[in-house]
Amino acid sequence: MELNDTLLLRYSRHILLPDVGVDGQARISGASVLIIGAGGLGCPVALYLGASGVGQLWLADGDTVDLTNLQRQIGHATAAIGENKADSLARSVRAINPEIEVQPIREALSGRALHEVVTAVDLVVDASDNFATRHAVNRACVQLGKPLVSGAAIGFSGQLAVFDTRRAYTPCYHCLFPDQTGEPETRCAEAGVFSPLVGVIGAMQAMEALKYLAQVGELLIGRLLLWDGLQAEARVMKVPHDPACPVCGQAARQAG
Amino acid sequence: MPRQQFPADLFGAIRLNVMPTVQMTQHLYRFFPQLENRTITVSAGSVSEVLRAVNEIAPGFADYVLDEHGALRRHVMLSIDDTVVIDRKTLSDRVPDGGTVYIFPALSGG
Repeated sequence: MELNDTLLLRYSRHILLPDVGVDGQARISGASVLIIGAGGLGCPVALYLGASGVGQLWLADGDTVDLTNLQRQIGHATAAIGENKADSLARSVRAINPEIEVQPIREALSGRALHEVVTAVDLVVDASDNFATRHAVNRACVQLGKPLVSGAAIGFSGQLAVFDTRRAYTPCYHCLFPDQTGEPETRCAEAGVFSPLVGVIGAMQAMEALKYLAQVGELLIGRLLLWDGLQAEARVMKVPHDPACPVCGQAARQAG
Repeated sequence: MPRQQFPADLFGAIRLNVMPTVQMTQHLYRFFPQLENRTITVSAGSVSEVLRAVNEIAPGFADYVLDEHGALRRHVMLSIDDTVVIDRKTLSDRVPDGGTVYIFPALSGG
């Protein structure tokens, strides 16, 4: 994508970075990203990707803004209570950067609709709040060959990983977390969540997404980052590919 | 004066004499306070054997992390020396002397 003088100025602090430069920013500006969830993680992800000039952002969430969201979901204002989260967050992103296209999707994407949007984008960011959605998004990304930046956060703890199964012998989300559908889940509404935690993890998701788009640095592919905010400690785990994985393993690929 | 060269296998030899350590996320201490504020060391062996050894220190621990078939419960994650274990059923991966097992939950919140 060609950047005019206004855009060159707006993104100049990116362009000054030797690793990014005009070419990297042009790749960011020419890209499209789907963000699943416009809550604690989705807000910082969308605000950073929007401010950074990702050309087209799709924001999907079927929930409405609630008073209890406002302690941490920084893309929503008090006046947005009762409004769809995708709409509210889209407005906040546009206020920061009117130069990009922001498309709210007022539903929790699934089935054919999920596949259609994943097909249309360059990268997917999973900022959802449940395992069923996470596994559905992973299956779509594996089947359609799209990179997935996955983050999760609760209490004081967060997790972050990047999956791109087009790279041989790298894991998918299911290799790491076998299907937890039906298992009891700990939710922020029950367990609580420390406000800046979702900012930390969401900002790291945005960082990985932008690195992928700009083609800079080493991504967290085949690795899982664990962040313990209470102890201020991070761990990075290696994550092997599971050859027997029902989503990305050999048998699944042959069947697909 | 030439630098003294350590034998190539010195650190490996030290490692062989150290028992594996088991670490876990804070939230598990709420259920098993006897594991908190201590270094948990067990004999080298399979993941299954290591978890049973922790259960000797904190009865009920194995039931918390393993299901009725002896496999890791779905929300429980485990690594050996910072590599995630993907054999969650037989738990036959070996935890070596000097190794570190880390137990943590799968998170879904967002």
